Amino acid sequence: MSHYVKRDVPFELVEVNLQEADDKQLLQISRELGIALNLTEMKAVKNYFSRKKRNPTDVELQTIGQTWSEHCYHKTFKGNITTPEGEIKSLLKTYIAKATKELNPSWCVSVFEDNAGIIEFEENYTIAAKVETHNHPSAIEPFGGAATGTGGVIRDILGVWADPIACTDVLCFGPLDYDYSKLPPGTKHPKYVYRGVVAGIGHYGNNMGIPTVNGAIHFDESYVGNVVVYCGCIGILPKNKFVKDTKPGDIALLVGGETGRDGIHGVTFASAELTKESEEISRPAVQIANPIEEEKVKRAINKLRDEGLGSAITDIGGGGISCGTGEMADRSNCGIHVNLEKIPLKYQGLAPWEIYVSESQERMLLSVPEKNLQKTLEIFESENVKATPIGKFTDDGILRVDYLGQRVAELDIDFIFNPPKFKGTAEWNEPDLKEPTFPEPTDLTEEILQVISTPNIAGKESVIRTYDHEVKGNTVLKPLQSKYGGPNDAAVIKPLPDSWKGVVISCGMNPNYGKIDPYWMAASAIDEAIRNNIAVGGRRIALLDNFSWGNPQKPDRLGSLTRACQACYDFAKGFKTPFISGKDSLYNESPLGPVTPTLLITAIGIIPDIRKAVSMELKQPGNPIYLVGKTYPELGGSQYYQLKGFTGATVPKVRIEQAKETMNLITKAIDSGYIRSCHDLSDGGVAVASSEMAFSSGYGVELHLKKVPRTSEIRRNDFLLFSESNSRFLVEVPEKRREDFEALMNGSVCAEIGRVKKEGILSVYGLKEKNVVRADLTELRRRWKGVLGG
Amino acid sequence: MMYRARIEVSLKPGHSDPEGEMTAQSLKELKYSVKKVGVSKVYEVFFEADSREKAEEAVEEMCRRLLANPTKDNYSYEIEEAR
Amino acid sequence: MKVEEIRVCVIRVGGTNCDAETKRAFDELGVKADINHLNEIVKKASLLDYNALVFPGGFSYGDYVRAGAILAKGTLTKLRHDLKMFVEEGRPILGICNGFQVLVEAGLLPAFEGISEYPEATLATNIPIGYNCRWTYLKHENSGRCLFTQKIPKGNVLRIPVAHAEGRFLFSKENEDRYLRKLYDNDQLVFRYCNKEGEYAEGEFPVNPNGAFHDIAGICDPTGTVFGLMPHPERAFYGWQLPDWTKTENMPTYGDGKLVFESMVEYLKSRF
Repeated sequence: MSHYVKRDVPFELVEVNLQEADDKQLLQISRELGIALNLTEMKAVKNYFSRKKRNPTDVELQTIGQTWSEHCYHKTFKGNITTPEGEIKSLLKTYIAKATKELNPSWCVSVFEDNAGIIEFEENYTIAAKVETHNHPSAIEPFGGAATGTGGVIRDILGVWADPIACTDVLCFGPLDYDYSKLPPGTKHPKYVYRGVVAGIGHYGNNMGIPTVNGAIHFDESYVGNVVVYCGCIGILPKNKFVKDTKPGDIALLVGGETGRDGIHGVTFASAELTKESEEISRPAVQIANPIEEEKVKRAINKLRDEGLGSAITDIGGGGISCGTGEMADRSNCGIHVNLEKIPLKYQGLAPWEIYVSESQERMLLSVPEKNLQKTLEIFESENVKATPIGKFTDDGILRVDYLGQRVAELDIDFIFNPPKFKGTAEWNEPDLKEPTFPEPTDLTEEILQVISTPNIAGKESVIRTYDHEVKGNTVLKPLQSKYGGPNDAAVIKPLPDSWKGVVISCGMNPNYGKIDPYWMAASAIDEAIRNNIAVGGRRIALLDNFSWGNPQKPDRLGSLTRACQACYDFAKGFKTPFISGKDSLYNESPLGPVTPTLLITAIGIIPDIRKAVSMELKQPGNPIYLVGKTYPELGGSQYYQLKGFTGATVPKVRIEQAKETMNLITKAIDSGYIRSCHDLSDGGVAVASSEMAFSSGYGVELHLKKVPRTSEIRRNDFLLFSESNSRFLVEVPEKRREDFEALMNGSVCAEIGRVKKEGILSVYGLKEKNVVRADLTELRRRWKGVLGG
Repeated sequence: MMYRARIEVSLKPGHSDPEGEMTAQSLKELKYSVKKVGVSKVYEVFFEADSREKAEEAVEEMCRRLLANPTKDNYSYEIEEAR
Repeated sequence: MKVEEIRVCVIRVGGTNCDAETKRAFDELGVKADINHLNEIVKKASLLDYNALVFPGGFSYGDYVRAGAILAKGTLTKLRHDLKMFVEEGRPILGICNGFQVLVEAGLLPAFEGISEYPEATLATNIPIGYNCRWTYLKHENSGRCLFTQKIPKGNVLRIPVAHAEGRFLFSKENEDRYLRKLYDNDQLVFRYCNKEGEYAEGEFPVNPNGAFHDIAGICDPTGTVFGLMPHPERAFYGWQLPDWTKTENMPTYGDGKLVFESMVEYLKSRF
């Protein structure tokens, strides 16, 4: 017997017979409709309609499927998790948002609530920030997936009335030289994915005229089947122009692009594992990007905001209009009545459910008081942007959807925003890893050249130059520093013409450490994001979290996710850096296995005067170089071990008190003008940081490892050079400020370890004061730039 | 009468074609023995005209006024009646 | 005319995206610049209310067909008469990046014999292919014809960034030599890509960032009142925009890009 009864109406509308379906059939229905709901959820739906004494329509089931998807509702982060130590009710509330709540900083304006987190900036302005994941769409169609990822996160910023000022991108790919014959069917080669994703991100940001200023690229085998694409956007908005006050009677206004079949089931697809069939099934799930349309939408929305005509705004992203309308009604405790036939279509022949869940790009939803409607429509018309009233907000908490005079959906908003709790089991077993033993190499110069030319450390100039990082003319500190394009730790943007205050944007991520312990991976990512920000002069830092993990229904995946979340709480609290927004992408699994757990931390700081910002390249021969922070024997997960074929066990830890003190002192030293250049120590440790500082400037450097502040266990030159201990900086101090600097640092872990030299040579003296490294800067630069092209 | 024109705009011989070269290189990486790739743009234009002559005149003009830049582009077209 | 009386029209359509920073450059010099949508200018027939016209950077209409082509034809169709008046009266027209592409596609540059019906040059796909955002050095080649570089001595080297995918200036092969001679004869050559020391790039990447013929980065028309260039002077206006300002002990207040805007204002002050 079929569960689907076609209604006798002049369009496609199907009633789904849930009431007579048993458990097996419920799951079959979920699968057949592609809504990815599990049995508990399907039963909850069935119960709801039993109470209503009727069966749902396809429109209703699709709406529920979209709203309850992992992508839209973040079930896992809000679910109940059983661990050996007891039950966790909501990872989000227990860890990530808790740190923010307890810190309760006065400068956090809106956190975890809207499309983006909002923090204070200048007297009359706030900053909005958001980072999105767009992994699954990018795996299926790299160019389109990455482009629409950027488009989507920009709309998140527009979705809090802000004007985008900068974009970021952090990407993880399989090795570019991956053996073609090892690729499973349906999986694209990393090189193809890499080219497509990079081009897609550049296409959207460049066309919209938003500078892409910060990012990272990481390579690992686990990304062959699961590319990771993080797209971020930062915006600015006048403080008194933020409004979220939809009232019953307000008009629901759909603006931007037309609706087609593109992107149908994007979110349910994003919430499932990738298989061989994904490519064929999901082709329509991929959206087509039109940045020029979004640019026009942005102009109109800015105007509307300045004139105060709208009462609320949200972007239409995952789940399409079904999610956008529901969310807006839910947040304002209203109901909504939508007329689907009003929605402008790209072509005819769409069923009502398709119209309602389509994820066509460049669309936003506004609520507008009726008295402002005419003026609002005129603004959109002046920018050649379509704006269509598609419904009205009501006062009864019910979502009603009509199509050509027929009611096709009627759902209680309360019901659709209270899905059954996700239940999971978390288990984390420490991997059985040992510290490797191998003799100290005799030629450390060669080791440095090799480490610096591993794809994860090598220069990314060939990518960065394809992004316009200067448009808007506000980029003070650029991703590529100086003549030789050195990698700056963070970007600095000066968004206001009449203020010297700047926004500092940085990130931290090291999936390698997660192979040893996701807790310390998360701690290290937080430390790295913060120290990158501090290194250029940033402070008052807010954090954003982005998780890409495997299937959370498998206890080990959920176990490692939980550990990472615990660290997020501990260190956000410890550093007093609140999380303001986040996004997760789970179910990143392919026939090649799960993705390496990948936590991206984005840090948004401020700098009171951009003229004090510090770049990373050496400035003046003769100046002393100091290492601030202690070096431990922490090479587990390091680039050096990886090069030698090891993982190791000594993952870098974060000693919070020491770390905080170091960071505070660096900020003080920068403000006092004691620092000419500063670079954080991360992948590749002292060796890589000093090389980069030198070859970016053309000035050489002489270092003495004996002077490096360290624990007594380190007795090898290679370990001192390549240890990746956190919370460390290499700083160049003007000779004439040496005493001031030393006085400031008095009592902290800091030592002069070398000098800037005129001659273009990196020269390192070992623990026994013997010269152990002598590398020509031209050669270092050539090897660093040679991998991905310069 | 409704006409359909299929207009192809391609680079004049002798001009370098970075897009074609890039594509050729990528195809070579996939182990195809590709000598050369030429990239051109195809426009499908539906329009009204009184006669075939007028249609041809119109297409010629479209090419010259917008679709091709005579400095670097050649163009060719086919016109047929459309329903 | 007094500085505060000068009015500059920065024109935009869908996809234009460097209008705000271009306007800011004029603001900084005390000149009133309005950003106007092309539709508004057409509707109000107000182009001739302005003393100068700027086509800023961006991707006008998505750069479909060819970069700048649609805006060029659109402007000509809708404002042909006003544009002609503009040029005839010596009111300056500046095209930056996408704006340069527009002026070439519109036949306003190089305009050897006045506004040409078909483009006499093109800005083709970069060699090496792809979008490229980087700082370039430009050698000033003009002997005084170009009003936009009046304040820059001939032979001076400027530092201004480029960011584009289609900036390879070209003439058609058969006209190359003849047109290049004309550029010299008419004093229409303005900027050529060079290295820090002022040596011409001779086509070598990345000194010449796009493979432009004869390292051409910017040209003017025979009257010197229409000027287009691929580099973005509005991104080299302030000292803090420069790529290595952190190197200097005292940050310079302004960058080289300011000279282009200053020259323009200077001309407007003395001419009108």
